[in-house]
Amino acid sequence: MKHRLMALALTGWLAPILACAAPASIKQAPPPPPYAGVYQPHGVDEIGLWHDDDEDERRLAGSPLVIRDEALNHYLKDLLCRTVGTDRCQAARIYVLRTPVFNASMSPNGTMRVFTGLLLRMHSEAELAAILGHEFGHFERRHTLSRFKANRSGTDLLSWAAVLTAMAGSYQAYSNFDDLQTSVYGGLYHYQRDNEREADLLGLGYLNASALPPQAAARVWQNAMAEAEASAVVRGLRKPRFDAVAFTASHPPDAERAAYLGALASPEGASRDAGEERYAAAMAPWLPQFLDDQIKLNDFGASEYIITSLAEGGWSACLWNARGDLYRLRGTQRDLVNAAAFYGDAVRLDPRLADAHRGLGLALVKTGRREEGLAALRRYLMLKPNAPDAAMIGMLTMKETP
Amino acid sequence: MFFRYCLAAALSLTIVVPAAAQERTALKNGFDPLDARGKTVLVMRPSVRVGSQSTGGMFEPNGDWTDQSKKNIDAALAKIQAKLGNKVVVAPEAFGEDARLTDEYAALFAAVSQSVITYQFFPGNRLPTKKRENKADIFDWSLGSGVADLPGAKDADYALFIYNKDAYGSTGRKLLQAFAMLGPGLAVKSGEHAGYAGLIDLRTGDILWLNADGAMGGDVRTSEGADKRVGQLLEGFPGSQLEKATVASATAP
Repeated sequence: MKHRLMALALTGWLAPILACAAPASIKQAPPPPPYAGVYQPHGVDEIGLWHDDDEDERRLAGSPLVIRDEALNHYLKDLLCRTVGTDRCQAARIYVLRTPVFNASMSPNGTMRVFTGLLLRMHSEAELAAILGHEFGHFERRHTLSRFKANRSGTDLLSWAAVLTAMAGSYQAYSNFDDLQTSVYGGLYHYQRDNEREADLLGLGYLNASALPPQAAARVWQNAMAEAEASAVVRGLRKPRFDAVAFTASHPPDAERAAYLGALASPEGASRDAGEERYAAAMAPWLPQFLDDQIKLNDFGASEYIITSLAEGGWSACLWNARGDLYRLRGTQRDLVNAAAFYGDAVRLDPRLADAHRGLGLALVKTGRREEGLAALRRYLMLKPNAPDAAMIGMLTMKETP
Repeated sequence: MFFRYCLAAALSLTIVVPAAAQERTALKNGFDPLDARGKTVLVMRPSVRVGSQSTGGMFEPNGDWTDQSKKNIDAALAKIQAKLGNKVVVAPEAFGEDARLTDEYAALFAAVSQSVITYQFFPGNRLPTKKRENKADIFDWSLGSGVADLPGAKDADYALFIYNKDAYGSTGRKLLQAFAMLGPGLAVKSGEHAGYAGLIDLRTGDILWLNADGAMGGDVRTSEGADKRVGQLLEGFPGSQLEKATVASATAP
């Protein structure tokens, strides 16, 4: 009897889990709702939030972090329009921020911030479109406003509870207050994660309806997990858990996102063109800077993962050079030997890549191959006579007079 | 009893105990307020945020009030000009590189004046390196001589920065305040009316005068209230008739 009860209890618990794992009712993310025209804020709260946000955007527009390159900005805007539709996309303004972190954000008035760390990690237009669509989903669903209201209700409730608890003054009252506090804060974080899930679904809905393959959305999160794992391995840390939800987690766990985004992607979209070449071509002028910013984060495992994953379609001189920088900057003797080999590959592919000659020279000098190293440094100075460090490198290459 | 302390700690997140001293003014050492007469003062775009305070203490921005208050404060600044004993010019609207510079200096001024307010004006949280300066009555802060590049700086002697934030207690907050006072006897603060104003020498970047007030009067949403508020913000403005009988020194009483 006891066993049967336990079995019943177990199936009772398992049923919802199974239902989550294999959603029977929905096969695909729902299509985006019909476009309702240019949105304007309603009500005191929303008008206030937009007003604050307009002021923020005014400051952002002048920020030295913003990359103002017209070609890059035009490309991103065009991609957003191809993702969410040419009518909707006019509501958003994209700002590219030079920040080597994997993130993007959307604020209530339609200000979209895209970090260069995100652009570095994407492999195709479809992957970036998945993120842009997600962010636009936050805008379409007015998530900032609903979270503002939820936070306000939660803190209102807690304030009254705190005063009443202080009035009662009993042990039980304080204990109840603690429970209430935990459940209110837990509920608010849960609500935030649900907003993210909703934005994920809406983003995938745009992608399903677009000309890009929606399967890319799940790939973004698979790559994010692989990168986090690579970073942890090099640091000697325990592998991160991708299925656990922390109390204060702002987003659903990566594994969950990868699973539902993969399951709800439209299967007939799989054969569409993901725009890998177009994306690589648009990012090519920026790749050296993005990689350099990433390498200076001193996260060897993650940087190595990013470089090798970008090189899946073939190594370029820029990628070999970045890998050389990564190893040379960690700077153990074994790293320098590897770095010299990577720089060697870079200059073989592009003999006019001055920075690779510089790195090659410095790595060789430090590993006891002085003459070859000095020759590489001289080539660097020849290719880039006005380099900011020309005087310093020039001193290295001077003949020693004993 | 232990729990009561815990609760007090938790409440302090939302309920601010009124500071003993809420208003302070300081003049740069060696700066004679009489020198400030007949100069041209460049008024930078005031930072104004007006809204209400929810029952739980959150700031609820209100676009309409903010717009109205900005207009009222601008009008009040124009009205008070005669009393300042200076010529007041409004900084030109900046674009591109100029706007970036203006924003950077507004942010720098906000950071420096916050440091003054936190570490020098009000006791309790002072930087060890500033303690001695407080005792010696030194008020010496600067934004650097780069301020001379600000748009409009060529034709002015001083720049005036103004920051103002108002959160009017909502009905819920006021009810909570009354209830907390009558019931358990807790002090809940309803509303926040803080602001500061500073005068910068456009040649050297030194802060000549700074006035900070954590609890000001005057309802900026009305034009009479804004007049009163601007009067309080510019209280003790060097060389003006708004000077207080005695300008408080930089040290704590």
